Amino acid sequence: MSSYFMLIAVLLPIVGGCLIPLLPLNKRSWLAIYTEFIVITTSVLVFLIIVNRPDSGFVVFDLTKELSITLKLDETGSVFATLVAFLWPFATLYAVEYMRHETHEKTFFGFYTMTYGVTLGIAMAGNIVTLYLFYEMLTIVTLPLVMHTLTKEAIKASRTYIYYSLGGAAFAFIGMVYILKYGSTADFVAGGVLDMAKIGNGTDLMLLVYVICFCGFSVKAAMFPFSAWLPKAGVAPTPVTALLHAVAVVKAGAFAIIRVTNFSFGTEALKGTWAQNFLMVLVIFTIVYGCSRGLKEPHFKRRLAWSTVSNLSYILFGVITMSPMGLLGAFAHMICHAFMKITAFFCAGSVIYKTGRNYVYELDGFGRKMPKTFFAFTISGLALMGVPGLCGFVSKWDLAKGAVTNNTVLSFVGVAALLVSSLLTAIYMLSVVVRAYFPGKDFDYSTISDVKDPNWMMTLPLIIFVVVMFVIGLNPSLLMSQLSEVVDTVF
Amino acid sequence: MEYVIVLPILISVLIGVLLLISSFVSHTREKSKAFISDNFKYTGVVSLITLFVCVAITLYVAWFGPDDIVLFSLVDDIPIHFHIDDLGRLFVTVTSIVWLMVCVYAIKYMKHEGEERRFYGCYLIVYGVLVALDFAGNLITFYLLYELMTITSVVMVLHKGTKEAIMAGLKYLFYSMAGAYCALFGMFVVYQHCHHLNFTAGANLNEVLASENREIMLVAVFFMLLGFGTKGGMLPFHAWLPTAHPVAPSPASAVLSAIIVKSGVLGVIRTVYYVVGPDFIRGSWVQYAWIGFALTTIFMGSMLAYREKVFKKRLAYSTVSQVSYIFFGLALLDPVAMTGSLVHVVGHALIKCSLFLSAGLFAFKTGKTHVDDFIGIGKTMKVTLMAYTLGALGLIGIPPTVGFISKWYFASGALKADLNVVSILGIVVLLISALLTAGYLLPITIRGFFPGKDVQIEEKEEKLDSMSGVIFIMAILALLIGILPNPIIDFAREIVATLF
Repeated sequence: MSSYFMLIAVLLPIVGGCLIPLLPLNKRSWLAIYTEFIVITTSVLVFLIIVNRPDSGFVVFDLTKELSITLKLDETGSVFATLVAFLWPFATLYAVEYMRHETHEKTFFGFYTMTYGVTLGIAMAGNIVTLYLFYEMLTIVTLPLVMHTLTKEAIKASRTYIYYSLGGAAFAFIGMVYILKYGSTADFVAGGVLDMAKIGNGTDLMLLVYVICFCGFSVKAAMFPFSAWLPKAGVAPTPVTALLHAVAVVKAGAFAIIRVTNFSFGTEALKGTWAQNFLMVLVIFTIVYGCSRGLKEPHFKRRLAWSTVSNLSYILFGVITMSPMGLLGAFAHMICHAFMKITAFFCAGSVIYKTGRNYVYELDGFGRKMPKTFFAFTISGLALMGVPGLCGFVSKWDLAKGAVTNNTVLSFVGVAALLVSSLLTAIYMLSVVVRAYFPGKDFDYSTISDVKDPNWMMTLPLIIFVVVMFVIGLNPSLLMSQLSEVVDTVF
Repeated sequence: MEYVIVLPILISVLIGVLLLISSFVSHTREKSKAFISDNFKYTGVVSLITLFVCVAITLYVAWFGPDDIVLFSLVDDIPIHFHIDDLGRLFVTVTSIVWLMVCVYAIKYMKHEGEERRFYGCYLIVYGVLVALDFAGNLITFYLLYELMTITSVVMVLHKGTKEAIMAGLKYLFYSMAGAYCALFGMFVVYQHCHHLNFTAGANLNEVLASENREIMLVAVFFMLLGFGTKGGMLPFHAWLPTAHPVAPSPASAVLSAIIVKSGVLGVIRTVYYVVGPDFIRGSWVQYAWIGFALTTIFMGSMLAYREKVFKKRLAYSTVSQVSYIFFGLALLDPVAMTGSLVHVVGHALIKCSLFLSAGLFAFKTGKTHVDDFIGIGKTMKVTLMAYTLGALGLIGIPPTVGFISKWYFASGALKADLNVVSILGIVVLLISALLTAGYLLPITIRGFFPGKDVQIEEKEEKLDSMSGVIFIMAILALLIGILPNPIIDFAREIVATLF
């Protein structure tokens, strides 16, 4: 396949999204069909590109003589692109039904679709400059989505979001400049591009810059101490929190970190240094911190957001172990967590859509009234805990194995943190499940007699995601054999 | 042909799920057909028949069928693997017998508890999971089923739906999960130092690697012991047991205390004797810590049971103490003591089951749950109290009951294991605990039959029905094992002989 198809895949949703306010889509169904059409076409295109991957990159334009905006899809990028392309059509289907009770639908779907293109841009970025460009764009196009309801709370949340994100990008910029100065090329090359001759005695500076750059990109991945924006951004409509704040945006942060760690700085130069240890401590702390905040949080969506904070750090933990096994676990968790968390968020969204209830303690007895939704939620909870037979166990197993093979004290602490976090996950997820199915003997079901499952547009994605969780959980080699090929190209 | 191993597991899980679904549907629909509405009379009988079929197939498979099957792989080419060995046969036979008899008891008992189909649904599913657990051939399969067992059995604890039951259910769930994750931590490390994770009599440790990383391996084994010990109510994670077991309906408390705690024991045996090997931890701090925990638990459990006035809670504390007898026997890492442990697994299962069922019957017929209210209960419930006394004598360990035999083996094992002070201390604790056991079990009999002159109770003849009959059969079975112990002891010896 020719390489310019990649440009089409990125531009189609961006342009399509821009056009939404201009087109005469007056009826709601037209808007829905148009959006879904753009999204599905893009996804099909992305799958075609991944199957017949073009070998060469596509230079969109040159910034200066050395710097160019290049799209190039390698194996690592394909993982992220596949994930996004698979989830987006389902999330759009859900959003179409969900947005029925919100306003400004045209703006919403416009930016929602544009975000798709920008995320694909991150997946297909061929060098660090392109990555940085799309990364900044992602902040900007998702900002109106967070602000969508225009309540005081939403505006405040979006302000927090933009300060954090732009601040993070500024840190990441330092890393980019360093790579441009001391690297042999700006392109992503497996194993890193640093020119050791140029660095000479400045390894400590190199490590410091790496730490700064890691922290910068980790803002989007919500690592402690940069995690506060994510739960606040939960005021956005649920399709945004589910797809963007559990998958696209946050995993773009994790993906960018994989890029700088394995493709720019290179694990060779970083392994065993203070930078690795320092970042590992931060990541391990976040794993436990996110869960314990989630435990305390009575707001349903914010609780799930804190859980995302913790789970994103699972991925970063896999990356920072800098071993093939750890990276494999990171990739696996990137995919598995996407399915688990999007399911959980969609369930929370269904509750809000049907009843307007936001808090966990308002969910008594819902298990009987919303059977499909809460079945899916139970499965996602069990998967997040890492019950064998579901996808969460597969990724957790690989992450822990990667850490144990590393055989340092810190990596054993990391394994312990993973398990403590599993326990906390069990507590904050299963307490909801038990409440929903066992509201207590005296509970009066007539108070929630009008609660029902939403229609097929909102339950179909749930069912499909549940099936995927089981398939990956029961037959992991399906996924893992592909991913280990990807990891082989990185190391 | 080897797929027959999966058959009983599948049947009971499938029927159980169907029952659960039908129970769920009857609540969500306003109008429902007769056979899925809650007043369908024969739920219990249908479950009993299903269970009987499953038990028959299970026992056939366990003793005469094929003994090995490899299913699909779960992680890293570690397959779901069932392998039936003698230890599995012992556990699965005890489980099946107890499960079937408690089901007979439950038919009448559960009528007044309500939500019958949910109960039987879970009851069947948990049976399937337990059979699979006993058949598990490697550590990953074991762990998978161990987690499933927790998740499915919690519904039985939650059954009453009261606030107390819900809190107890959550406590059960979270303690068990904490235990499971401790065990998982150990598994991650042990996996790196083993040739494979299949259960092999003796050990399959990669000794060169393991001795290089001896310290971390010991920590890992310690965590696995703590983790699996949680299910058996061993210190420091014992607190859930006296909360969770009594709130369940009596048939459920009986199987929880008799059988499900034993899966923790099975986990420990599999870890120590089938993966790591007893020689690896012999003489290390892990062994001493383990013995220490077990002995403290024995003593503390008996003490708390002695002070507890709510009958079912008292029995639950007794379980805490008694299961740690088994752990003590295993921790000595001695063939004789381990024989005692295996005998105690069987004896305690039967006896504790009969005790819990009699507690249930007392409450069922008189509504009394408090020990002090049981004065003169022998006048109206003679049969049940007699069966109870038979069981109690067995648990105390008066010869010729099964409790005596296991204790004899523990004591001689402790002396043989040659751990100086620890051996003597162990025997002393065993004796004190036996006294305490008598102190918390026998007063009920004594005051039940001889309430004293100033208590006036009208005597009533109690007929032997399906409920008291089950209790009687169990107590008599336990007694028979005590009188004719040789078949079981020989069987246990054969198992132990392969391990040392």
